[in-house]
Amino acid sequence: MASDESLPTLKILMIGPSGAGKSALLIRYCDDQFDSESSTATIGVDFKVKKLSVHGKAYRLNLLDTAGQERFRTLSNSYYRGAHGVILVYDISNRESFLAMERWFEEAESNAMPGAVMYLVGSKMDKSSGRTVKTEEGIELAERHGCQFCEVSSKTRDNVRKPFVEIVDAIVKDPKLLNASSRRSGTVSVAGGSSGDSGCAC
Amino acid sequence: MESLSDTPWDVVIEGTGLQQSLLALALSRSNKKVLHVDQNEYYGSSEAAFSLQDVDEWVEKVNTFDTKSFRNAAIWKSPTEAGKLGVSRAYTLTLSPQIIYTKSKLLSQLVSSKVYKQLEFQAVGNWWIYDVSSVAALKRLPNGREDIFEDASIDNRSKRSLMKFLKFVVEYQNHGEIWEAVAENSFPAFLTSHFKLPESLQTVLVALTLSLDSPDDTPVGYALPRIQRHLSSIGLFGPGFGAVLPKWGGGAEIAQVACRAGAVGGGVYVLGTGIKSSQTNGEKTEVVLSNSETIVTKHLAHDPDNQRKPDTKAVSKVVAIVSSPFSTLFKSSVEGSPLAAVSFIVFPLRPSASKARLIRSTLWHTQAKRANVRQVNEQSLVSLDLAFHDEALEEVETKWNAIVESADEQKPFMQFEERTGMTDEDDDNENGY
Repeated sequence: MASDESLPTLKILMIGPSGAGKSALLIRYCDDQFDSESSTATIGVDFKVKKLSVHGKAYRLNLLDTAGQERFRTLSNSYYRGAHGVILVYDISNRESFLAMERWFEEAESNAMPGAVMYLVGSKMDKSSGRTVKTEEGIELAERHGCQFCEVSSKTRDNVRKPFVEIVDAIVKDPKLLNASSRRSGTVSVAGGSSGDSGCAC
Repeated sequence: MESLSDTPWDVVIEGTGLQQSLLALALSRSNKKVLHVDQNEYYGSSEAAFSLQDVDEWVEKVNTFDTKSFRNAAIWKSPTEAGKLGVSRAYTLTLSPQIIYTKSKLLSQLVSSKVYKQLEFQAVGNWWIYDVSSVAALKRLPNGREDIFEDASIDNRSKRSLMKFLKFVVEYQNHGEIWEAVAENSFPAFLTSHFKLPESLQTVLVALTLSLDSPDDTPVGYALPRIQRHLSSIGLFGPGFGAVLPKWGGGAEIAQVACRAGAVGGGVYVLGTGIKSSQTNGEKTEVVLSNSETIVTKHLAHDPDNQRKPDTKAVSKVVAIVSSPFSTLFKSSVEGSPLAAVSFIVFPLRPSASKARLIRSTLWHTQAKRANVRQVNEQSLVSLDLAFHDEALEEVETKWNAIVESADEQKPFMQFEERTGMTDEDDDNENGY
């Protein structure tokens, strides 16, 4: 399970309004944990690392959460730098969170590198009785932005792997995007003698 | 969305410039509840970096409102060339370009705090001087002893004098008897009286100080540490360079990355919200935000930009997007050195024009395209320096120290473990999602 520094590293961001379920999805996918009580945004890590194999080839995913900076919409340009993929999350039981997605798409499209893969996720599909956003509406919004879509439940584990597997699949199909992270020529290392500087390109 | 006034804050920090952002990061990792606000809609305060579109908005703002840090901003686009500009965000124009010497504590603290992992650095390459003595030409400054020996334009006697000075300056602290008494005096006069250096070489040495004053107004005590820093930084992180610049906008990029790290540590970020007023009663300070919300905090760190006196020194700056890549200026002069992203060109003052201002121009190699955008501003800032000064970090550490009381919160300044969640492998052999 130890990270293999030589694996190709993909930087994938989670964005979307507060309370949409970004951290819950990330924690369910990475740690297979779910805390229904927790409603606070931050998970307190710079990024989570997960090794994922797609079509027999392994990748190292650096998964970044908003660290609460979505609350007042203060995500910085630097958050988006070098990201290969962006997962946009809304809550199917909260119509406002769905209506906010247009602005989140706009922010992601104007800040992420050209060609970065977007992926739309409707979360909390277990809350079917409280649903205020139809599945078709999610599909339609995703189509409009030319990206893939699914609904997930971090509580019941339904579909939690799907967004990650499918976005990685889409990223690795685009060699130009994949190579974009190895563009670090012309940069210099400032870490001096300290080891372990080779890996992270995010 | 819960309101900000519900939380009892330990610290409210105003402004998201480099210093304030590092302070927020340090405090958030010392278990302080930090609220970090900025009146601007963008990060970086007077160190911000902008796309072309952002620059248009900024210029309008500077000229409409009374900002403390900038005045007289203007933008000019070449009528024939502006159409050839790339998309707005292909450019990052920084308001306060600053190189960071490899010796600077800032770099070691970015490493010890793990912040550097989210940053990319580019090398500062050649230094040139506009040689007024000959036909108008740029002359590359010597990059070391070999360069000086090979330079045919310096006579042997001057070479010996220069060597003597260089030997002295790398350990000037041990030779207080030579310079301490004249620390306040003019640096060129000191070079004449103590080292018999000719005027042409004095100009070169003054250039290395990046002094914004005229040579005669540049004191010995200011010049010596800066020349020492320059010389001792070369080669530290690789051949042929002694300073770096963070990619994507310099200090603004470090500030943004530090703010994210501060948010990971629990800090709360609000932009477009300034501080209207504050009142301290005993241990509590009541702060009224520009959105009229009132919050309570134990400590308040004001934006240093808003604390400046109106009579502080001003500097005019021009940022230009040019149509030539100027490859000659950036060409590596040392084998194995990285491609430089920054070159310095120093335009020295003629000695007779002693009261005129020394003009410097920094060339930014980013995205040279066939068009011109000109932006002129006058700025009154402590951080006008073209090189990052470690004093700025010491100020941050002092503020941090004053706010962090208990010893268990007071681990070494800016030394954090990396916070990454490493988890199990995910194989696609499993069925289903």
